[in-house]
Amino acid sequence: MKHSGLQREVLSLYRTCLRESRKKPANTRLHFESYARTEFEKSIGLDKKDFGAIEYLLRKGRRQVDMYSAPGIRDIQ
Amino acid sequence: MASIVRPTMLKQSCLKAVSKQAFSTKPASTFPAINKPAASVLSKQVARNAFAKSALPGSMRVAAFHASGRRAILPALPPNDAAKFPTPHPSHGSYHWTFERAISVGLVPLTIAPFAAGSLNPLTDALLCATILIHSHIGFEALIVDYIPTKRLPKTRKTFDWGLKLATVVVGVGLYEFETNDVGLTEGIKRIWTA
Amino acid sequence: MAALRTTSRLFAATRPAFKSQIRTRTMATVTGTATSGAVPPSQTTTVKEPAADADSKIKTFHIYRWNPDEPSTKPRMQSYTLDLNKTGPMMLDALIRIKNEVDPTLTFRRSCREGICGSCAMNIDGVNTLACLCRIPTDVKAESKIYPLPHTYVVKDIVPDLTQFYKQYKSIKPYLQKNTPAPDGKEYLQSKEERKKLDGLYECILCACCSTSCPSYWWNSEEYLGPAVLMQSYRWIADSRDEHTEERKAQLDNSMSLYRCHTILNCSRTCPKGLNPGYAIAEIKKAMAL
Repeated sequence: MKHSGLQREVLSLYRTCLRESRKKPANTRLHFESYARTEFEKSIGLDKKDFGAIEYLLRKGRRQVDMYSAPGIRDIQ
Repeated sequence: MASIVRPTMLKQSCLKAVSKQAFSTKPASTFPAINKPAASVLSKQVARNAFAKSALPGSMRVAAFHASGRRAILPALPPNDAAKFPTPHPSHGSYHWTFERAISVGLVPLTIAPFAAGSLNPLTDALLCATILIHSHIGFEALIVDYIPTKRLPKTRKTFDWGLKLATVVVGVGLYEFETNDVGLTEGIKRIWTA
Repeated sequence: MAALRTTSRLFAATRPAFKSQIRTRTMATVTGTATSGAVPPSQTTTVKEPAADADSKIKTFHIYRWNPDEPSTKPRMQSYTLDLNKTGPMMLDALIRIKNEVDPTLTFRRSCREGICGSCAMNIDGVNTLACLCRIPTDVKAESKIYPLPHTYVVKDIVPDLTQFYKQYKSIKPYLQKNTPAPDGKEYLQSKEERKKLDGLYECILCACCSTSCPSYWWNSEEYLGPAVLMQSYRWIADSRDEHTEERKAQLDNSMSLYRCHTILNCSRTCPKGLNPGYAIAEIKKAMAL
């Protein structure tokens, strides 16, 4: 199936999340992955034509990835 | 999360500072005179030195005040990265601007001269045509750069860039034809004016 | 709602203290406390001044509201009425009073309340200005409208996201750059005339009023630096002690960073500190021209 531009951005954000969690210590990697997953699942019920909300959540997500991918952060609950 | 990590790192750096103090040959910095040149100096000298200018550089004198280690506690967070500059290009920057201003200033006498003098010189006419063409090209180019950013609409931007170039060439050819085969720009305007 | 909350708090107390703290901290970034907010959006068109007097001067304020915790709800305008006799003279006083007495969920930035921190920059009655320097118009019939700074991402209510602005400010290296040590080993001296060049530049508090009023900056904020940052750039170019002037100029020498300024001069018109960013940008252009 062909994705729209916004859908591709969401997917790439999720992929970035997973890629960043690979850089974390092995014993806490799962925490990061599940955290990313729950964050995405929180807005799973969003209307797919609600572009404003999706774009806002994308921006927020990117900021969070920036923050949590800092090497000083080693675990997440 | 960051705030949870911080206290442990702070503790580490504090420990480091304490151990540094313990192993250093300097006496502990509780003494008010902090700018002592060497550890072997006796208190008599110290009292004098406290008022005299120290030979130590300022940074070392200041360092005695800091309890924590010299390194940063946490590396700067990514949101603080500086924005990137586009690659410098004087032909798009300062030269372009100077040229644009020169053209604009040049247009003023060129538009007034033929009508004020009342004479028809094919040379000034050609010059006027050329400057108007360049002036309007730069103007439209600024419009495109302003409203069609390459980042968001790369294809549209390209189309418009080439469209503008094409339009400029077409207008240039048209003006040339008008100059060579017809009455010329100044005369044309004159006739329209009086018609 | 209250009953629910107490039970959850009881539940949390049974856990070890430090763990519950961590839990709430990670959760706070996402859910926040907005669900327990004071007024549901469907009922909040006008929030009345508590206990109105007979000779009171009631004025209406329309304020932009948007809650990031409910991203799918559209931004809306909420109206508040205040008695001007009981309110301080400035817009910020009105905002603080609304937050204190009427609606604690209203969110805005403020710090110094005297126009020196630049936190409370917002769009009041169509003009970007500092709420603490903007008098409330005493005309009671005219209703005041308060929006966040135009063309910025909104964090919440009238709080704009100025990340890009600060990143751009960092990119111009706003500090003294020297290659040689000071001649007397202590300080870099400047004549009175050289110092005078910095007047009208160094006073800028980076409130972003000018940048967000600039149409060029609206369309090209990714690459065009905007009036505030360019004025600070000029502040360091004009500084006689700085030795990297040529590098600073070379950085700006492209079509986007500086030359998207078309001397619209909204910046100079709106500046709440009365500075002239447009003039500073023109000076940079002149310095770079020949």
